[in-house]
Amino acid sequence: MFLSALLSPANPEVSPDATLVSRLLQKDVSAFEQLYDRHSRAVYGLVLRILQQVGTAEEVVQDVFLQLWRHAERYDESRGPFVPWLLTLARNRALDTLRLKSERQRRREDQTEELPPVIAGPPEFEKQLDEKRRAEKARTLMSSLNPQQRRAIELAYFEGLTHSEIAEALKEPLGTVKSWIRNGLLRLKEGLQATT
Amino acid sequence: MSSCDQFREMYEAYALGALDAGERASFEAHLAAGCTNCAEAVEEARWLVSQLAYLAPEAAPSDMLKGRLMKTVRADAAAAAAKLPVRAKSAIPVWLWAGVAALLLLSAYSEWTSVQLRKDIRETNARTAALLQQRQDLEAQLELAKREATILTDPASVKIRDPKNPQLEAMWHSSLGIVLTGQKLPLPSGNRVLQLWLIPKAAGGKPMPSLTVRPDAEGKFVLLVANPPEVMTETKALAITEEPEGGSPQPTSTPSWVGGLT
Repeated sequence: MFLSALLSPANPEVSPDATLVSRLLQKDVSAFEQLYDRHSRAVYGLVLRILQQVGTAEEVVQDVFLQLWRHAERYDESRGPFVPWLLTLARNRALDTLRLKSERQRRREDQTEELPPVIAGPPEFEKQLDEKRRAEKARTLMSSLNPQQRRAIELAYFEGLTHSEIAEALKEPLGTVKSWIRNGLLRLKEGLQATT
Repeated sequence: MSSCDQFREMYEAYALGALDAGERASFEAHLAAGCTNCAEAVEEARWLVSQLAYLAPEAAPSDMLKGRLMKTVRADAAAAAAKLPVRAKSAIPVWLWAGVAALLLLSAYSEWTSVQLRKDIRETNARTAALLQQRQDLEAQLELAKREATILTDPASVKIRDPKNPQLEAMWHSSLGIVLTGQKLPLPSGNRVLQLWLIPKAAGGKPMPSLTVRPDAEGKFVLLVANPPEVMTETKALAITEEPEGGSPQPTSTPSWVGGLT
């Protein structure tokens, strides 16, 4: 009993990712490799989806992971889970690159942040889900939206367009686009809650 | 309508980055004003938006990417590790420096204390020696004073006088010596002194030179001759002459005082 008490995790709330990130502070190469192996596919998939170019996407992924390696102290576990933080960082970097390429940076340079902002932890129902299940749920819920609604959200998320730009791209009224996006996200939220 | 109500429908769009510039500026001003309700709602909306990342199918980056990253990371780690030993070798830990400094200070303090102690001991020894010498001198003076007093008061002593010069008087004790006293005497000129002579009884015997003395400013003196050059029974008289400083082997002046032993 005593031995099992010793071997049990001291704090079961601490995620493996948070532990690995804390080891980065000691320049633990092994911890970095584990984090890369755990999340590089999701990060690369997201960045590639945004940039649509393998070479550029790999450059951004390299940049994201090097930033994680060199500035691991910027991740604060108490302010949110690691994976959304990492994916938000990757999205921001990818959209920055996209804007540079398309010369649209002026539009959002004030809003783009060097590091992801605070992200609330997942609701209780989400805490028990692993990343794969969470991805499957999100995809299923998004596929249930009508195509226009899904397209509006994708343009905002993957291409960094604003309401007005989406309305222009889809040739739809601004108010309609706003409703599509908000209602679609609320349905996603409800779906995530309902399917646990 | 509260100030938050007009922004309630913007939480998700703001987290998504889809607000147009005017709406975004307005909402950010509201957040900057310190609205905690809206700030918390935005944090939750950001988590919801972060879930959209899963809509992108996962994809495997090339092995070359991992290779480049690991090469860079290992180089960084090696550089960081290389700095640490250098610092460890070149920089002695602060606590060790503190220890060395404390030892040096202690050593310096000990040396200073030792020097001070040795100096104190030397001074104490000197003072002790001076006191000891002073005591010995006082004891010697006391002994002489006792001897003088005994000679002057012992009935066995013989009083020797010169009627012509009553300011001088001698007392001779056969075993303790001679005490010669003078009062109101004229000071010898210059550095000259008065010298005592013992005139032997033997015919043709030369005066035996004894001690010298110079009266004080009032013309007084007390002279003890502890070991006279001649015994009382062989001496006919005592005489005083004025001699150069240090005395003479034989009288060089006419005696100013001659006391006969009866």
